[in-house]
Amino acid sequence: MQKDNTLIELNKDIPILEAKHLVYEYRTAAAKLIRAVYDVSFNIWPGEFIGLIGHTGSGKSTLLQLLTALEEPDSGTVYFKGQDIFEKKYDRKKLRGKVGLVFQYPEHQLFAETVFADVCFGPLNMGVDRKQAELTAYDTIKKVGLEDECFYKSPFDLSGGQKRRAAIAGVLAMKPEVLILDEPTAGLDPKGRDDLLDMIASLREDAGMTIILVSHSMEDVARYAERIMVMNKGKLLLDDTVSAVFMHQSELKSAGLAVPEVMEIMTALSSSGMPVRDDIFTTDDAAEEILRVLREYRVI
Amino acid sequence: MPIVDLKNVTFEYIRRDNEGNVDGITTAVDGVSLKVSPGEFIAVLGANGSGKSTLAKHINALLFPTEGAVFVDGMNTADEDKLLDIRSTAGMIFQNPDDQIIGQIVEEDVAFGPENLGVPSEEIRKRVYDSLDAVGMSEYGLRSPDRLSGGQKQRVSIASVIAMKPKCIIMDEPTAMIDPEGRREILETAHRLNKEEKITVILITHYMEEVVDADRVFVMDKGKVAMSGTPAEIFSRVSELQELRLTVPQATELAHRLKMAGVPIRDGILTGDELVSAIMKLWSAAR
Amino acid sequence: MLRDITIGQYYQTDSVMHRLDPRTKIVLTFVYILSLFVFENPAVYAVAALFLIIEIILSAIPLLYMVRGLKPVVFLLAFTVVVNLFFTGGQELVSFWIFRITIEGIKRSAYLMGRLIFLVLASNLMTLTTAPVSLTNALEYLMKPLKIFRVPVHEVAMMMSIALRFIPILVDETNKIMKAQIARGADFESGNIIKKTKSLIPVIIPLFVSAFRRANNLAQAMEARCYNGGEGRTRLNPLKYRRADIVAYVLLVIYAVLIVFMGCFLFRVIPIAV
Repeated sequence: MQKDNTLIELNKDIPILEAKHLVYEYRTAAAKLIRAVYDVSFNIWPGEFIGLIGHTGSGKSTLLQLLTALEEPDSGTVYFKGQDIFEKKYDRKKLRGKVGLVFQYPEHQLFAETVFADVCFGPLNMGVDRKQAELTAYDTIKKVGLEDECFYKSPFDLSGGQKRRAAIAGVLAMKPEVLILDEPTAGLDPKGRDDLLDMIASLREDAGMTIILVSHSMEDVARYAERIMVMNKGKLLLDDTVSAVFMHQSELKSAGLAVPEVMEIMTALSSSGMPVRDDIFTTDDAAEEILRVLREYRVI
Repeated sequence: MPIVDLKNVTFEYIRRDNEGNVDGITTAVDGVSLKVSPGEFIAVLGANGSGKSTLAKHINALLFPTEGAVFVDGMNTADEDKLLDIRSTAGMIFQNPDDQIIGQIVEEDVAFGPENLGVPSEEIRKRVYDSLDAVGMSEYGLRSPDRLSGGQKQRVSIASVIAMKPKCIIMDEPTAMIDPEGRREILETAHRLNKEEKITVILITHYMEEVVDADRVFVMDKGKVAMSGTPAEIFSRVSELQELRLTVPQATELAHRLKMAGVPIRDGILTGDELVSAIMKLWSAAR
Repeated sequence: MLRDITIGQYYQTDSVMHRLDPRTKIVLTFVYILSLFVFENPAVYAVAALFLIIEIILSAIPLLYMVRGLKPVVFLLAFTVVVNLFFTGGQELVSFWIFRITIEGIKRSAYLMGRLIFLVLASNLMTLTTAPVSLTNALEYLMKPLKIFRVPVHEVAMMMSIALRFIPILVDETNKIMKAQIARGADFESGNIIKKTKSLIPVIIPLFVSAFRRANNLAQAMEARCYNGGEGRTRLNPLKYRRADIVAYVLLVIYAVLIVFMGCFLFRVIPIAV
C-alpha cells in the first residue's frame, strides 16, 4: 500500500537498470522470424516499484531474461548502474546476485534436502562464506514469513504457499538490489496472493529494494506499483505512472488487457453524470471518492 | 434424480513422515452432502487446501470415500462394474493443461476417450469434430498441442471430455495456470456448453469473478461445506468470505464498503454494471 | 539452444509418400536399409540411389530440407571417411608421413559414405512423412505377433507415444530449471568433470520431481478418460491399406529382386564388413 517516496538514500542520479534498444529475435521450427523483444528502451530508478504487464507471448518473459543476462540480445544492451552487462569482461554471475529473478512457479526449482540448505544455495554460489550465507538464509526465511519449524523441513513437504515463499527466499538471500518477480502469485488463493504481495511490498519499504512485478492482474499492479510498463507484441507499448497508463483504455484493450474493474465503475459513474474523478483504481480510493461526492451533494 | 448426489462423504488419508511412520490422519473431506440437479451450473469455492479438489475427484471415481457414498446419475462409485460408465458420465478437466493432453495431435487427443470406450471409427471422427466445434477449436484438429496457448489447450481438454458424451463435467481449477484471456475463453466455453448442450457443470475455483454467473455456489473450508447459496447470497457475506481466505469481486467489495459507510445500497451486488445502476438510482433520486 | 531440438521431425504437407500407410513406410525403410548392407558394388548403389531419389521426389519435401537433415551426422561421416581413407591396406596410391591412401581405401570410404548418407536420408524420409503418432500405431500393429511371447505390445506403443508427447515438454522444463538456477548463481560450465556433474544436481532433482508429478497427473487424466488398457479399444484412424500401398509393395519387391539380381550375378558378393 505504501506509495510515498520516503526511501533510504540511494544514488538517484543514474538508473539502476537501463535498457537500450533491446532486440531479441529467434526463428521457429518453421523458420518464421519471431521478434520477441523489439527496440525496447527504458530506465529504472533505484527504489521504484514497477508493474510489468502484457499477455502471454508479449515478450515480457524474454525481457526479464535479457535484464538478468540469461539471454543475450541480438542488438542493444542493458546497463546495470551504468555498466554494460553484455560487455565481454563483465561479471554476469555477480550481476544475477544483484538483479534477482524469481521465475514463475519458483517452487519447481527447489532441490535441497532442507529449506535452509536450499536458501543457502544462492549466497554460496555468490562466493559468500558459509557462516555468512547461513546467517543471511536465516534472516531471509524469517523475512518471507515462514515459521521456524520450516527451516529443516524438506522443501517438498511444505504447502503450496510455503514452497513459493521458500523459493523466493532462495533468490532474496543473494541480497539483490533489484528483485524481479514473474507472476509470483500464480495459482495462489486470494489470501495467499495478498499476503505474498504485501510481503514483497514490505521488502521495498524495509530494504529500499527496486521491484519489478510481472502480473496479469491489473488490480494487483494498481495496488502496489507506482509505474507501469506494458509490453505488446515485443514492444514497450506504454511506460508511465499507474494513473497515466490506465487512461489509455483503448490501447490497453487492443493489447488484450483491461483496466481494473474499479476504474471502469468510476468511468461509468462519471459519464452518467455523477461528478466523480475517473482516475481511481483501488477500492479504498473509490469508496472514499464516491462517499465524498454523495456527502457533498447531500445524497446521504 | 440428481446427476450428482454426495451422501455424507468423508475422505481421510494417512500422513507419513520421512521414515514412513504414521504421522497422523488428515481428513480432506469431512461429511459433505450435496445434490446437483441435471443442467445446473455449480461453483465450488475454497482456499488452497480446503478439500475442494479432493471432493471433485470423488465425483469422477478417481477417489473413493472413506465413509458415505457418491452417486453419479444413480450409479454408486463403489460399484466397480460401473466405473467406465461413471467416468464417461461425469468427465473431468484438470488444472494443468500440459499434463492431461495425451495425444500428439489435437484430434488424436480428443479421440482418446471414445477410443477407450470402443466407439466405432466413423463415429469417433464425428464426435471429435463435433466436440472441437463446440469449443471453437475445429480448425486446430491437426495441430500439435504444444503450439497452442494455455486457454486453447484447456479448450482441447474440454473437447476431449465432451467427446465421451458426458452429462456432467467437473472442472478442477481449470483456469489456475492460465492468463486472463485464456481464462475468459474457458469460462465462456463452460457456460455455452451448459446452456446449449445442457451439460451440468461443476466448476472448482478460487477466482471469485468466475462464480458470478453460476446457479449455485458452495464454499468449502477445512473439508466441510461452509456456505452455500446463489452467488448474490454468498457475496453479500463479505466478511465471512474473507475469513475463509477468499475475496469478493471488486464491485462487490466496493458496494460493501459503501454500505458500511451508510450508503443505502442493496446486498449481493456482483458486477460493475449492477453497482453503477444502484448508485445512479440513489443519485438521480436525490437530485 | 535446447529449444531448437525437434523430436519427431514431421514435415507437414500432402504427398504420395505422406499418404502411404505408416506400416508400408516402415517396411519400405527397413527393406531399403537392409539392401544397403548386403551388397557392396556400384550397380547396387546406383539402383539404391535411384530408388531414394524417386522417393524424395514423391515426398514433396524440398531437397535442401532433406540435405540439411544430414547435418547431425557430418562429423561421423567425416570421421568414417578419414579413417577408411588413410588406414585401409592395399595398393598404395599416395603416401606421406604415416598416411597412405590406397585404391581400396578410396572405394571403401566411398561405399561407407554412400551407405551412411542413404541410411540417414531414408530414415529421415520416413519420419518426415509420417506423424509420430502414426508411426507408433504402425509399430503396435507390426509388433502384434510378439504378443505370443507375452510382449505387452499395446503398452509399449502407448509408452512410446507418451514419451514422444512429453520429451519436448521436459526439454523445455530442463531449460527453464537451468535458467532459474543460473539466476541463483549456479555455474554449469567451469570446473572439472566431477564438479560439473555435481553442479547438475540442482537441475536433476527438480526435473525428476516434476516428471513424477506430471506422470501422476497424466495417469489420473488417462484414468478419468476411461483408459483401461488396450482391450476393446477402437481407433480414430484405423490403419487401412489403399491402392497406393499395394503399388508401393510391388515396387519394393521389384527393387529387392533387382538388388539381389545385381548383387549376385552382375558382381561377386562382398561379405558384410562393418
